[in-house]
Amino acid sequence: MRYPRARRAGLLYLGGLALLVIGAFPLFWMLSTSLKPSAEIFATPPRLVPAHPTLENFGRLFSDTRFLTFFRNSALVSLATVALTLGVSAPGAYGLTRFAFAGREKVAGLILTTYMFAPVMIIIPFYILVKELGIVNTRLALVLSYTTFCLPFCLWLLRAFFESIPLELEEAALVDGAGRGRAVWHVVLPLALPGLIAAAIFTFILAYNDFLFALVLITSEELKTLPVGVNDLFNATIVDWGMIMAAGVMITVPAVLFFAGVQRYLVQGWGAGGVKG
Amino acid sequence: MRKSALAGWLLLAPSLVLLGGLVVFPVVYNAWLSLFDKHAFLPVQRFVGLGHYVYFAHDEEFWNSFGHGLVYAGATLVLQIAVGIPTALLLNEGFRGRNLLRGVVLFPYVIPTIVAVMLWKWLLNDSYGLVNHLLVAFGLTRTPVAWLGKDWIMASLVITSVWQFFPFVVVTYLARLQTIPPELYEAATVDGAGAWRRFRHVTLPQTRSVLFVIVLLRSIWMFTKFDTVWLMAGDGGVSRYIRTLPVYAYARSFTYLQAGMGAALAVIMFVMLIVATAVYFRVFEREEAIS
Repeated sequence: MRYPRARRAGLLYLGGLALLVIGAFPLFWMLSTSLKPSAEIFATPPRLVPAHPTLENFGRLFSDTRFLTFFRNSALVSLATVALTLGVSAPGAYGLTRFAFAGREKVAGLILTTYMFAPVMIIIPFYILVKELGIVNTRLALVLSYTTFCLPFCLWLLRAFFESIPLELEEAALVDGAGRGRAVWHVVLPLALPGLIAAAIFTFILAYNDFLFALVLITSEELKTLPVGVNDLFNATIVDWGMIMAAGVMITVPAVLFFAGVQRYLVQGWGAGGVKG
Repeated sequence: MRKSALAGWLLLAPSLVLLGGLVVFPVVYNAWLSLFDKHAFLPVQRFVGLGHYVYFAHDEEFWNSFGHGLVYAGATLVLQIAVGIPTALLLNEGFRGRNLLRGVVLFPYVIPTIVAVMLWKWLLNDSYGLVNHLLVAFGLTRTPVAWLGKDWIMASLVITSVWQFFPFVVVTYLARLQTIPPELYEAATVDGAGAWRRFRHVTLPQTRSVLFVIVLLRSIWMFTKFDTVWLMAGDGGVSRYIRTLPVYAYARSFTYLQAGMGAALAVIMFVMLIVATAVYFRVFEREEAIS
């Protein structure tokens, strides 16, 4: 090392501090604003920490808006999407790794290319299709669209995981008299668990975050999900910043909790191909 | 053997049905639709051939949106890399609190777009925003900057987007950095290479291919980004100063209800991306051959 130790440490901590400010401070500011009474929100100079913290912004959010309905819709749609995506992609990925059939590699390649399509490039025909199917303005339409968009990535991710599980383990179970179903359930799935969890997180984040499909496919107030419902709060004549920041906090908490709980599994998934966004 | 092939296809069938029905079919249908004058809600449609494409060639709005898209994707790409790579290098060093920071740096990427945008609209608020307050307090500007007005809205959009997406660069780059054999650095140090030369002659060559992927994916995704851009300004007021092609396609289809025109814009974007990707691969391959 050419740098003297102290200088190196100094640089590292300076960089670390800058990173902490960039990454965490805006979120801290959101939390701080959400806890301020309105006089403090518009005070100059602004206070870093609320002098008189209050939950009145959250109270208004729950009583004056349909936030809880949006929240429930988002949770339902995201969880259903995770279930459907895993239910479809896990068998698919297993099929891609464990059964030899003609054109297998081609199919896998084609699946990957569908990953390149941005939602905005198919939203118009998608809308017309959904309308023809008679499921416009339903949660089902959202679940189907998110599942389709998560599928290519999940198939590839899970394929990589299944490939890393030695065939011998399954064969041993089969020789011991277990059927394929039991061999998969007791041998393969536990080993692929980190992959399944990573796939679940990607799917959840994508579904929970989506704005475009929800904007186009949902028209009734009772079915709106958080991003669209909360964005409507800006349409007020006087923007209620305290309430909007409270909504921001409420939306962030589940995303961060979900993520933090399973973060250690994620690094592997990220290594395997990144996440869209 | 036969049976196993059948089982493979059967397991894959649900995925293929979904992808075929909800991605491949819409893409094909979209190209077909772009040849028609079609109302977004009513079943009326009239064949116009390549009429929409001819129209857009002379449409000022189209070229403006295209220009905004280039500026937006270009600026955010450069800044994401300029912030993301030093961050990844930092988080690859050993120091106390590193794991905590690795988690913190992901925050902006994990929170939903709606939150990132509302948060930055508040920070950049012209009268009560913290950014303007700090700028004035430190004497950097005499009067508050109208961040969300027409002159600065693009800058604000870029700031918000870079904040939101640079963690992708960090994580992807960091994953590759961790696989560089330490012996390479040790050998370079023995040869008397300083930090900069170690980066230049060891790190950069080792991370070339991941950089290639980062630049490709991030530019495609920024160019086709809809939600951040739309949420920043909606579709009225100053939105025309940041309107990119995805937003224009949305406006054509769902505001003006001209689904055929929207479809044509989607096709144009699609072709642009394919051409850009092909050129990019070509250039990169050539460079690879030289070095």
